Amino acid sequence: MADSETLICCENLTKVYHQGQSEIRALDDVSFTIHAGEFVAIVGASGSGKSTLMNMLGGLDQPSSGEVYVDGVALSTLNSRQLAQFRNETVGFVFQQFQLLPKKTALQNVKLPLHYRRPRPDGETKMAEASLARVGLGDRTGHRPTELSGGQQQRVAIARALVGAPRLLLADEPTGALDSVTSADVMRLLQELNGQGLTILLITHDRDVAAYAGRVITFLDGKILSDKMNTTETQRARQR
Amino acid sequence: MAFPGWTTLKLATVSLIEHPLRTLLTSLGIIIGVAAVYSMLAIGEGSRREILERMNGIDARSMSVYPDWSRRGRASKRRPWRPFSERDLEDIRLIPGVFAATGSLSKEVPVVNEKSDWSAQMQGIDLDYMRANDLVLVAGEPITASDIERREPVVVIGQTVVRTLFRGQDPVGTRIKLNNIPFTVKGVLGEINSEGFSNRDRDNIMLVPRTTARNRIIGGNYLVRDHISGLEIVAENQDDMTRIEREVGDILRLSRGLKPGEAPDYRIFNFSANRQAAAKSKRTLSLLLAAMGAVSLLVGGVGVMNIMLVSVTERTREIGLRMALGARQSDILWQFLTEALLLSIFGGLAGLGLGYAMSRFSLSMDDITMVFSLDIAMFAFGSALVIGVVFGFLPARRAAGLNPIEALRHE
Ligand SMILES: Nc1ncnc2c1ncn2[C@@H]1O[C@H](COP(=O)(O)OP(=O)(O)OP(=O)(O)O)[C@@H](O)[C@H]1O
Ligand SMILES: [Mg+2]
Repeated sequence: MADSETLICCENLTKVYHQGQSEIRALDDVSFTIHAGEFVAIVGASGSGKSTLMNMLGGLDQPSSGEVYVDGVALSTLNSRQLAQFRNETVGFVFQQFQLLPKKTALQNVKLPLHYRRPRPDGETKMAEASLARVGLGDRTGHRPTELSGGQQQRVAIARALVGAPRLLLADEPTGALDSVTSADVMRLLQELNGQGLTILLITHDRDVAAYAGRVITFLDGKILSDKMNTTETQRARQR
Repeated sequence: MAFPGWTTLKLATVSLIEHPLRTLLTSLGIIIGVAAVYSMLAIGEGSRREILERMNGIDARSMSVYPDWSRRGRASKRRPWRPFSERDLEDIRLIPGVFAATGSLSKEVPVVNEKSDWSAQMQGIDLDYMRANDLVLVAGEPITASDIERREPVVVIGQTVVRTLFRGQDPVGTRIKLNNIPFTVKGVLGEINSEGFSNRDRDNIMLVPRTTARNRIIGGNYLVRDHISGLEIVAENQDDMTRIEREVGDILRLSRGLKPGEAPDYRIFNFSANRQAAAKSKRTLSLLLAAMGAVSLLVGGVGVMNIMLVSVTERTREIGLRMALGARQSDILWQFLTEALLLSIFGGLAGLGLGYAMSRFSLSMDDITMVFSLDIAMFAFGSALVIGVVFGFLPARRAAGLNPIEALRHE
C-alpha cells in the first residue's frame, strides 16, 4: 500500500457523558489517522468507547470536543441535512443485529439507501442486484430476512452498505451474532472487498476476527492502548 | 421542506399494505367519523330541502276554518253550531293576496255501478277546489262553472273509486249512482300524494258540484242558506298569511253577527306558524347532528394519532436505520405524514362508502330524508384529510426527532 491519501483523521476526540453527578469519558483525547484502502480493526473491552467512536466517524453523533475529518471535511461543520447526505454517500454501516426490515425482500432491503440518494440514481434495481451478487447472494434477491441464515442476513446488510458505493465501511461487531464458521465467512468477504479498494473500519471483541484486518487499534477506557500493523493477515487468509 | 414526491408516497403505501390490520384499525375512527359526518349532514340537508319544499308548497300557504262552539257564556245563551255560507266564501275570495278560497261540504255516501258497490267520500266543490288542493285530472273534464250553476249530476272520481268500481275499464262517460242518484263520471283524478295522511285514503273521493251535493244529497241547513261546512284558504304568498287570517276573521265576525269582544264561534287553523317552528327545530337538529359528526371525527383523529404514536414506537429501529442510511429528518417526517394522509384518504373513502350505505338504508325509513350531495361528500372527505394531517403531525414529528443511535438500539 503505497503512500495513499488520508481518509479519516481524528483530532483530540473527546466524548463525555454525564450520568447524575459522575461523568463518563467514553472517548478521551483520541487522535489517529486512517488512509484510504486500509482495513482497520478496533478492539477493546466492553465500554471502552468503540461504538462511540464509530458513531462519531459515521456522523451519527457529535464529539464533546475535538474534530473528525472524513475526506478532508470537518464533520462538525455539517448541518443535519449535510450529515444525512454524508451518511448516505460516504459511509456504509453494518450492524451487529443486521438491522434488516423483516417485511422486505433482500433486494428491497439493499435498495433502501438509494431511496435517500439525491438525485435518485437510474437503475436502482440493477445496482442492488449487483451489490447482492458482489456478496455472493445473487440468487437470493427475493428472500425475506426470515428465510435467510444469519450469515446470509449479514451479507445482505453488507450489500446494503455497499450499494451506494461508499468510501468507507463502518462495521460494529458484524460477527457478534454469528457462529465462528459463519464469522470467518463474513470476514473473508470483508477482506475481499478491502482487496477491491474499500476502506473498512471494523469493531470487534474477538482477536481472531481482528486478525483479518491489516491494522489493529486497541482501546482501553476511551484511550488508544496500542495501534499495530497486522503482519499475519495475508497468511491467515490463505490458511483457511 | 418540500414534499419529496412519489418515493415517499410509495414508501408510505407499501408500509400500509404490509400491515393491513394496523391500517384498518388506525383508520377505523376516521371511517366512522366520516360516515357520521356524511350521513348527518345528508340528513340535515335532506330535512332542510324537505322543509323548503313544504314552505313553498301549497300546504304551507293554506289555512283552514271550521265552525266551533262559542266557548264563553252560559250554555243556554251559547250560539248554535253554524256552518259558513257561499257568501262568506265569495267575500274571502276578494281579499287581496288570496290565491284560492274553497269550501267543503262532504259526506260519506254509497256509490254503485252495474258491477259493484262501494262507499266513498263525496265532496261538494266549487271552482277553486282543485287549485286549492293541488289536484289534477288524468282523464276527462273538470267540473265547470255551468255544472255548478245548473246543479249537474256530474262527478270526478279519485283513484280508489276507479279501482274498486271499474277495474281497468275507462270510467269517463259512464254512469254511477251516488246515494241512489245517477251521476255521470266526468273526469278522473290523478293519484293524490297522501304523505302524512296515512290513516285516511285521500284517493277514495268523489268531487261533485257543491250545488248538486247540497240540493240532492246533503240537504239544506236550517240556519244558513247555501251552507258550507269548512273553508280552505290558500295565500299567494306565505308572508301574507297573518294579514289574510285577520281579514278572514273580520269577514266572518261581520257575517255571523259577533259583537266586539265576543268569542268567535269558528276556528282558524293557520299551519304555516307550526311549520316554521318545525323548520327551526329541524335546523337545530341538523346542527346538533353536525356537531356530533365533528366530535366523532375528532375522536377518529385522536385514534389516528394514538395508533401512529404506537407505530412510531414500534418502528423506532426502522427509523434509526433509515436515518443511518441517509434519511433526512424531513424524509422521516414526510414518510409518517404521508402515511397519516393515506390513512385518512383510505378512511375517508371507506367512510363515504359506509355513509352512503347508511343513507341508502335510511331511504327505507319514513322520518328521515337523506340527500346525496357531492358538496357534502367532499366536505366530509376534506375534514378527514385535515384531521389526518393535523393529528398525524405530532407522531411524525416525534419520529423525525428521534436520535438515530438510540433508535437503533431500541428493542
Ligand atoms: N448515551 C449514553 N449515555 C451515557 N453513557 C453512555 C452513552 N452511550 C455510551 N455511554 C457510555 O460510554 C462508554 C462507552 O460506550 P460504548 O458503547 O462506546 O462502548 P463499547 O466499546 O462499544 O462497548 P461494547 O463492546 O460493549 O459495545 C460506556 O461506559 C457507556 O456506558
Ligand atoms: Mg459497542
